[in-house]
Amino acid sequence: MRLGSMWRDALSALVREPATQQYPFERLQAPEHLRSKLHWDLTNCTGCGLCAKDCPSDAIDVIVLDKKARKFVFRYHVDRCTFCSQCVMSCPKKCLEMANDEWELASLTPDDFLVYYGNEEDVETVLAAAASNGADASSTDTE
Amino acid sequence: MPTTPTQENDVFRIPIGPQHPALKEPGHFEFTVDGEVVTAATLRLGYVHRGIEKGTEGRNWIQSLYLLERVCGICSHVHATAYCLGVEKLAGVEAPPRAQAIRVLVAELERIHSHMLWLGVAAHEAGFDMLFMYSWRDRETVMNLLEGITGNRVNYSANQLGGVKCDIDGEQADDIRVGLDFLEGRIKHYLDVVSQDTMFLRRTRGIGVMTREDCERMGIVGPTARASGVELDLRVHAPYAAYPEHPVNLVTATAGDLEARFIVRVNELFESIRLIREILDDLPEGDLSVRVPRRIPAGETISRVEAPRGELFYYIKSNRSDMADRVKVRTPTLPNMASVLEIAVGHQLADIPMILTGIDPCFSCNDRMVAINDPSRGEQAWTWEQLRQYGIEYYR
Repeated sequence: MRLGSMWRDALSALVREPATQQYPFERLQAPEHLRSKLHWDLTNCTGCGLCAKDCPSDAIDVIVLDKKARKFVFRYHVDRCTFCSQCVMSCPKKCLEMANDEWELASLTPDDFLVYYGNEEDVETVLAAAASNGADASSTDTE
Repeated sequence: MPTTPTQENDVFRIPIGPQHPALKEPGHFEFTVDGEVVTAATLRLGYVHRGIEKGTEGRNWIQSLYLLERVCGICSHVHATAYCLGVEKLAGVEAPPRAQAIRVLVAELERIHSHMLWLGVAAHEAGFDMLFMYSWRDRETVMNLLEGITGNRVNYSANQLGGVKCDIDGEQADDIRVGLDFLEGRIKHYLDVVSQDTMFLRRTRGIGVMTREDCERMGIVGPTARASGVELDLRVHAPYAAYPEHPVNLVTATAGDLEARFIVRVNELFESIRLIREILDDLPEGDLSVRVPRRIPAGETISRVEAPRGELFYYIKSNRSDMADRVKVRTPTLPNMASVLEIAVGHQLADIPMILTGIDPCFSCNDRMVAINDPSRGEQAWTWEQLRQYGIEYYR
């Protein structure tokens, strides 16, 4: 039995560098396998919607404009995403990928949390439909 | 529910909670005291009932994995492992050996993080905030390792039905070894502190003593039981995943007091470190997952795993649809909570936070609704409206 068993820690802490960083002036390097913002690639997508079906937090909408012409828009709700990467696993065509460096996702406006991927004119079509239907595009066009 | 001390018939009752009963989770304790000595204790749980079991019935098998992972924020991986092992058993598939090894590796890293978190919380309750801060600073090492492997600091989502999502390459293995070397040195230091510091031992030695017979009678599980000499560890007695290939050495103590619970948990950290090194040296080659059908064949199964707090039990029933018919979870805190009420009697009121923390409780994990059918009153079924009304009345 002895008193003050941690005095060495206390003394060494006096001359140690701080354990914390001065964020945002100093940024830690994100780990290579960090899961951050989701990215979608249209090239191989078949519009099967498995990603949306398996998403535990309803963060993905696959909007099918024309299945034959492969006109799809991928709507991603960043604020709902739990970064579990199940969609990446579920995609049979490997169209989805999680970036490892886009983790600073905080925003003051809700619009920043709604990300559209797809051809520019298709996204325009979806946004125009959303504007005419109200604030949010109807969910009936999702598959 | 009284919220201030009351005196009736010369009995003085002190309510503690539901806000912040020693820990930052809700639970209502009522202690009857004679002077400073506790003479009786009661407990009321259920303040963080979230309806998770019911929630699984409206989600597909894959989505439920992520809901169940959130039963506990500290031991999320072990919940996902229990669920995956159960569903895989029902589906008649088995995850590849490499996936099983990675599951165990992440589970043991999680055990290190959980026990170090507990060490800090328990030290804080004892008034030893320095140990709290240093153990939590060092816990960052294991949090960073978990983030490096899985991509998330909490709720790692390392599991998927049929295997795991993350692989471990040579560079990551080296990082883990370096992190473990650092942690091993620190944990040796913490073992010295909790077993030698005079002031700290005054808060732990001989406090909250529970005999082996008490533990067996109350059904206590996990490190709390092992500190009283109960040889019970599912990793040893019912090995699952990769534990058959990588056996665990049982860590027990005999004193059964708070000091023994500290020593058992800290010694378990060394065992986890040894196991992780062994797995890293002998990681099987092969795939990370196998395909699991979207519709799981009808049937029911149980799945038991050793969470950091003790035995975690899952019952899963499928009716051949793409959703679970029933998932029942029993977390280790529920049986352990009984011990707090029993051993609190006869102790000073000031020792209660330490006794409560000694079981490493997780309140939100254990809140379930249970309705017991009374055979004399016939079968009872609750409608949704009745449940809703019951909920409103309960919290009134």
